[in-house]
Amino acid sequence: MIVRIWGTRGSYPVARAEMLRYGGNTTCVEVRVGDSCIILDAGTGLRQLGEALGREPNPPTTINMLITHTHWDHIIGFPFFAPIFSPQNRLEIYGLQRTQSSLRKTIANALSDPLMPIGLEDLRANLSFHEIHEGLEFQLDSRVRVCTARANHPYRALAYRLESDGAALVFIPDTGPFHTVLFGDERIEWTGKPTANTDDDLLALATMRAQIINLARGADWLIYDSQFTDEQYARFPHWGHSSASQAREIAEEAGVGQLLLFHHDPHHTDAQIDAMLEEQRAICRSDMIITAAYEGMELRKGDLP
Amino acid sequence: MKLQFWGVRGYVPTPGAEYLRYGGNTCCTAIYGAGGEMVVIDTGTGFCQLGDTLMTTEFGRGRGEMTLLITHTYWDHILGLPFPGLVHIPGNRLHIYGPDSTRGSLEMVYNGMLSPVYSPVYGLAHIGATHSFQPTTTTPFTVGGMRVSALPLSRRNRSPIWAYRVEEGSRSLVYITDVRYTDDQIWNQALQFAAGASVLVHSAPYTRTEQVQDYGHSRVEDAIELAQEAAVERLIIFHHAQSRTDDQLDLLVSNYRRQLSDDESPLILDAAREGPVVEV
Repeated sequence: MIVRIWGTRGSYPVARAEMLRYGGNTTCVEVRVGDSCIILDAGTGLRQLGEALGREPNPPTTINMLITHTHWDHIIGFPFFAPIFSPQNRLEIYGLQRTQSSLRKTIANALSDPLMPIGLEDLRANLSFHEIHEGLEFQLDSRVRVCTARANHPYRALAYRLESDGAALVFIPDTGPFHTVLFGDERIEWTGKPTANTDDDLLALATMRAQIINLARGADWLIYDSQFTDEQYARFPHWGHSSASQAREIAEEAGVGQLLLFHHDPHHTDAQIDAMLEEQRAICRSDMIITAAYEGMELRKGDLP
Repeated sequence: MKLQFWGVRGYVPTPGAEYLRYGGNTCCTAIYGAGGEMVVIDTGTGFCQLGDTLMTTEFGRGRGEMTLLITHTYWDHILGLPFPGLVHIPGNRLHIYGPDSTRGSLEMVYNGMLSPVYSPVYGLAHIGATHSFQPTTTTPFTVGGMRVSALPLSRRNRSPIWAYRVEEGSRSLVYITDVRYTDDQIWNQALQFAAGASVLVHSAPYTRTEQVQDYGHSRVEDAIELAQEAAVERLIIFHHAQSRTDDQLDLLVSNYRRQLSDDESPLILDAAREGPVVEV
């Protein structure tokens, strides 16, 4: 398995000199196993990934795109991904099933007038939309096993585990911790006090946490939301993001090989992310490796294409 | 009247070392009046950077006021609007002018962008600052000592794309984006609107030698011809293509400047750069 990081930033893309090392593009990760090409999220990093695929001698013609959720920062790279304009390509797009709107309609509306001049009919690649739900396990291209769980994020988001030939990657770019606020479909009005008070809420949070830990258990790599410092988290617990220390705690409990801090805050400079990373390394009790994901980062294990 | 670009890139933001000098945030231009008024044209991701710097001013205390002029609601002109802290602070006032489209008013379109499938804000009702939306019309209005007029220069999928002219005293700034001069009528309207402008900010992502499938944008040569015919003092091209690196922009500008100088044209030509404050 080869994992390449194309976008690490959360919320919105940032073009600033102080953020060049970790990068300013929003979330996008490429996974290659054998002939399979899997893309996790379609943030602005997707544009450069599309260009890189175009430079390959035999670029993949089937591309699986697993979307955690459709907040802007996770889909804004989509219309700038060159392979969607080539008729020989097939895109299999996976995302959450929702009652309000189909995945196809959600993407189509974002791309069309008056927000963009594109209709799905202008995309010459063959697109299929697959609506999935948390707790699902399925096989992609016969070589890759995909498992999903629910992340604790406004309007819900998916967490993914990809496994192939003894290598496992877990991708949880957007989730809050599991003690104060239980996110669902409704908006949370933050009053300064924990909103998850009832036994049902607390049980739901504990269950979600157990399932996230289970999803991440023993993974080689865990890419995890660490948008905040602890001080920021205390001010914005209703945003549905974690702090770096909360990410480390989940990673340690799940016994992962390497934690990658991810979904960097759009205000955090390279120096601030360095400091957050050092702080977590200093208090990490296990032999787990902690890094902060940066654009251009590549991870390899097991069966390589 | 002063001008400052916060986002100069078209289409999609381009973070990266090769785009740093001109900038990689999408369209956002701030205009500062002599009386302290602020007018912002378009709110691409550059608006997030502008918003951050404003948090140390009245906007950080919920006492700020600004006027936003939206040309159209494509991502690269509006997607930065919901992110900066100042739009979530009660007491701040945003007067937002922009197009009504066939899919609904500006307010409805923006509310749709903030719906929970796309945004954790869950809709306009939950945003803190006071947002007053007004459809842009051709009737001029004032913001402090600045006079603003607008022209629906082009249409895309039946939605208008507005051009804006902001005047203060004898100085004037004209902002034209996302237009292709397909006929004399559009050309003549643009000429009249830009006539004698001190500064013309014009989108021009490509040149006539580049064969790009992009029918919604004029070429650098179009912008130069318009500026010359309209007797504009200074042309600033922006909405740089996502593939255009700093070095390519340097080369492009110096080539066209040489041509202007060979032709003994008085026109000053620049490519928009994020950061520096420009006297209009």
